[in-house]
Formats: sequence, C-alpha cells, structure tokens
Amino acid sequence: MENSSSQVPVTVLTGFLGAGKTTLLNRILTEQHGRRYAVIVNEFGEQGIDNDLVVDADEEVFEMNNGCICCTVRGDLIRILGGLMKRADQLDAIIVETTGLADPAPVAQTFFVDQDVADRTKLDAIVTVADAVHLSTQLGEHHEAEEQIAFADVVLLNKIDLVDQSQITGVKDRIRKINPYTKIIETNRCAAPLEEILGLNAFSLDRVLEVEPDFLDSDHDHEHDDDVTSVSFVSNTPLDLEKFEKWFGNLLQTHGQNILRSKGILDFKNEKDRYVFQGVHMLMDASPMGPWPEKSIRNSRVVFIGRKLETMNLKEGFESCKSD
Amino acid sequence: MNNESVIKSRFEENGKVFETGAPVTGAVSIENAVAVGFGDGSIRFFWPDNDPLEVQAHSGAILSIASSNDGVITGGQDGRFLKISTNAEIEEIYNFGTRWVDNVAAYESMVLCSSGKNVYIWSDENDKPKILEHQSTIGGIAIDQNGRRIAVSCYGGVTLWRLEKNKWKSSKFAWKGSHGKVGFSPDGKYLVTTMQENELHAWRIRDKASFAMSGYPSKVKSFTWAGDNPYLVTAGAKEAICWPFDGKEGPKGRKPLCIASGGQQNATFVESLPGEKAVFAGFRNGMVLLSELSEHPNDVLIQNPTGSEVSNISISPDRSHILVGDSKGQILWSPLWEQ
Repeated sequence: MENSSSQVPVTVLTGFLGAGKTTLLNRILTEQHGRRYAVIVNEFGEQGIDNDLVVDADEEVFEMNNGCICCTVRGDLIRILGGLMKRADQLDAIIVETTGLADPAPVAQTFFVDQDVADRTKLDAIVTVADAVHLSTQLGEHHEAEEQIAFADVVLLNKIDLVDQSQITGVKDRIRKINPYTKIIETNRCAAPLEEILGLNAFSLDRVLEVEPDFLDSDHDHEHDDDVTSVSFVSNTPLDLEKFEKWFGNLLQTHGQNILRSKGILDFKNEKDRYVFQGVHMLMDASPMGPWPEKSIRNSRVVFIGRKLETMNLKEGFESCKSD
Repeated sequence: MNNESVIKSRFEENGKVFETGAPVTGAVSIENAVAVGFGDGSIRFFWPDNDPLEVQAHSGAILSIASSNDGVITGGQDGRFLKISTNAEIEEIYNFGTRWVDNVAAYESMVLCSSGKNVYIWSDENDKPKILEHQSTIGGIAIDQNGRRIAVSCYGGVTLWRLEKNKWKSSKFAWKGSHGKVGFSPDGKYLVTTMQENELHAWRIRDKASFAMSGYPSKVKSFTWAGDNPYLVTAGAKEAICWPFDGKEGPKGRKPLCIASGGQQNATFVESLPGEKAVFAGFRNGMVLLSELSEHPNDVLIQNPTGSEVSNISISPDRSHILVGDSKGQILWSPLWEQ
C-alpha cells in the first residue's frame, strides 16, 4: 500500500436528477480555484461543467469473478482513474458525478477490489445531494434513492427554502433512520462550506473512530420488507476474536447482499489494541488502530445499514461473540 | 534509492539516463528509432546515434501508441488520434472531442483506434472510417500477422472481426468478466487477454476452446511472446511466468516456466529479446532483469531499482539498444552489447 499522501482523493457525488449535483460541482470548481480537479461525468448527466479537465464516462458496472455475487465494480472508473494517474500534472482531487439512478455500491467497491485504484487513489467521501421537497417520495419509490442515502457520508439536504420546518424534521428523521452515520447539511443552492464536503477522509479506518453515529430509538412497526434500516449494538464485555471472525465472516457470506454498509470498533479479550472495521456488502477492511486511549471506555460498537436486517439474528450473533 | 553502494550494471554504466518528469505510457519501434509516448502528451524518438527528438503532440496523457507505414500513431486523453512522422510532422487523423482514444493499432496503410465502445478503421481508399460497434468500452485491440483479422476485447470476452469480401464479419469469444489487453499468438492460432482479475484468458480460435492462466498475486499488465515454442511471457508475479504454447493443447494442464526470479516485487512489464530465447522483465520497484527461457535460467541485471514501476521496455529495431521507461519518467537508453 502506498502512503496516503501520494493517493489522490476521490469524492463521489450522488443524488437524483434535479437535486443539485451540478450546482454543487460548479461551486466546488469555482470556489476552490487554484486547485486542480479532474471531473468524471456521465454523458446522460446534467450539462454545463466549468472545468478544463472533464472526462466523459459511461457507468459500466462489472461483475467480478470472485464467487461473490454482489461484488460489482465500475469498470469505467478503473480505466479512467488509471488513465488520470498516467498524467504528468498532479491532480489535487477527482470528483465523480454519478447519474441520478446510480447505485453507489459498485463505486465504493471499486476502491476495495482494484489494487491499482487503491494504490493511487482513495475514496474520500460519498456526498449525496437530496431534494428536501421530493426526497420522501423518492425514498418510497426507488431503491436507488435509499441506497444513495445509505452510502452517504454527507447528505446535502438542498432546497430547504421550499419546505417548512416540520417537513425538514420529517425528512431528516427519515434519513437518520436509514443511515445514522451520515452528516446532514441543510442548504439552499448547495451553499455548504466546502470543507464539510471535501477532504473528509470518510472511508479511512481512523475516521470510524471519530464519527459517532446519530442513534435513534427507531420503531420498526411501519416498515416495508425491503426498506433500508440500520441497527447498532454495544457490548461492554470484551469479545472473543475467533468467535467474532467466524460469525462476521459467515454473516457477510450469507447476507452480504442485503448489508449495504457495516462499521465497528471492537474490544477483543487479551488484545491491547482497538480493532476497527468497515464494509460494503461482502467486502471489508479491518485493522488494529493502536491501543485504547487511557481514559476512554473500552467497549465494542457495531452498526449495520441494510435491508431485511431483522432476518439475520444480528443481536444474537453479536451477543454470542462475547468472551466467557 | 540513490544509494552510493549500489553497483551499476553495464547498461547503466554505458547508457544515458533522461529524467523527463512525465510517466512513460508506451513505446514502439519505428524505422531505426524507438518512439516513446508520455503522460504529458509528448513523444520522444530515441536513435542509436543521435540525440532524442521531442515532439509535443497531445494535451493530457498519451494512452496508446503503435507504428504504421509512415509514422507512429497515437491516441490521447485530448480525444485526438494522430500520426507523427520521425521528422516531427503531426497529422490529425480524427478528433473525438471529450472522449479518450484508448487504443490504437496499424497494419501497413490501415490504421485503427478505439474510443468508447467503437473501433474506427481507416484504410487506403476511404476518408471516412469504418465503425465496428461493441457492447461495452473497449479494453484492447490487436491485428493479426496478415492484417485480415482484428481482435477487440471488452466486458464479456473478445470479438474477432474477419475481413471477408471487403466486409468485416464478427465472431464472439465469450468469457465472463472484464478483458483488457488482447493479442494473437505469433502463429495466429490463439487469442489471449488480460483480465480485471489476476489472470489471463486464452482461446484456441479454431474451436473456441478456452482456458484461464491464473495464480498471479497481482493484475497482469503486460505480456509478450518469446522463443520458437513459443512461450507466452507474462508480468504480474515476482517472476516472469512463461506458458508453453506448443503442441495441440498449448499450456492446458502444463506448468509454466518461471524465470527472472531476482526481483523482490511483482513484474509490471515484460519484453522478449528478438531472435534469442531471452526475456526482459521490469518490476514494480524499477529493477530490470534479462533472463533465459530455460528451466535453470541465468539472470543479468539491466537496471537497479529506481523506486518507480517499470512501464516500458523496448528494443531498437536493429537490436543495438534497449530502452527502459518508468512511471515517474526516467528513461535508460543503453547499448545492448559490449562495445
């Protein structure tokens, strides 16, 4: 693995057509002048991007031959990111604009699966632009809208001047229920501070430690079977490493398709280091992140975002990993 | 990596080193020169006797380079498909605008390129290109030894186009997954592709019998053919992995030769020494070795580690010089033989 300073950060912009992706993109490009960006756009995307390095791409989703049915990657991204790394001029960052109906999973998985992409670039964050007026309807009608919220590190809740406060509260609750980890920024015309959108390093394992999920007491009564929801568990008893590996490995193998994202900090018995992991479907990145800070509480915390979570016996599984 | 205690190879002692500052993206032989394409859009011609000639051709990186009848052809990130003569004249064959020109190839006066999902062919008589369409973005193109067949790889396999009565007829060689570079075996009987997974795939063209060559620790970015058998020589492992393509079944069920074993890192580029049973292997750390195609090969050090991945090795057409290029833009241009 290359050191992180030589990796070019990649920000992924998702969101339904008309939510304001191009407005945000143009704000980034004009306000951050002096910095050099490459922008990867889809030919069906909204037009009018003000940058001298715009690359047209088709969203080509490829299945990998690794025996994992949900392991798809963006073939065009592998090709284009590889091509951009051949340039002589240094890029400060790369922004990928996806089409409105894109599933973010293949984009995220590309950074886990392709070694060249992982060596030279890093996924900085997935930023989802949501239309405050239409998001609630879109969430009910399109799987992709839920996935875009589930994968978001930041949700720009745009066009808030067109809705009243109770609607804003309602739509924010809806977002948090899907994704307790995401940061919600309320905006008009995407006027958010750019430092809250770029350079977040949200996919680095260190960040899992910093971001506290916004837990809600969710009541699961009114959900449809395929709604995206989240659950989280805490254990103050140290976990058994072997038991956890067995349970978690098996869980991702069996239910990885329905687990969109997973994250956690783990306290294993007889281990002085904290363990941190995060996953996208069946793919997972984990490592020890140094000793527990002296004054912090040692405990294990895990969060799952996905569909049909109630069928996976997650609570029982997690409980069974506790050391004796 | 500029450790004083490193003993220079004969090639480093006798050759010249150029720091160009732009990644080497490809190279090809033309007339008596080696033409190199760079990540800043420039081309440099290296001759055995003269200083190199630099031509600024594209803006953005050159993605592909090939030699044609009367110059090198290049495809770039600026969407241009160019022909550049050895005296620096540039002719624009076509401009694709914001679409990259990912692959180029030539056979005599026929030139072709790929941009997106299409292959565009220009032959003598026509100004307008013939367009061959495919289902996904093209990973690689290759022309066979007679100029009668074109292989095009993309997601899901290879399309083989044959020129029959002035029409291109297609036939599909399917294999699940994303295919990158493609090539014909020297006898024209096999097709080989590199894959997104750490493996290669091959088909016997006659009956479409196909097989995988796998077990690599990293992606296979480069392959070439060497020796009379011939062997398919491949990068992607700590040694150059050479698959025997003689006999009826080729490498099916047989073990490859593993040569050039002195590198501590994975090979990123391989090239054969024409006329000899020998192979150059360049590694991720910049080291280059010359190795024999045999069970117990001797290795010769060509270049010490530079710290940057070897992205090209080319031999001059008269076999007098070797060129090694890396991903940071260092070029070693050296006489190949004792003087």
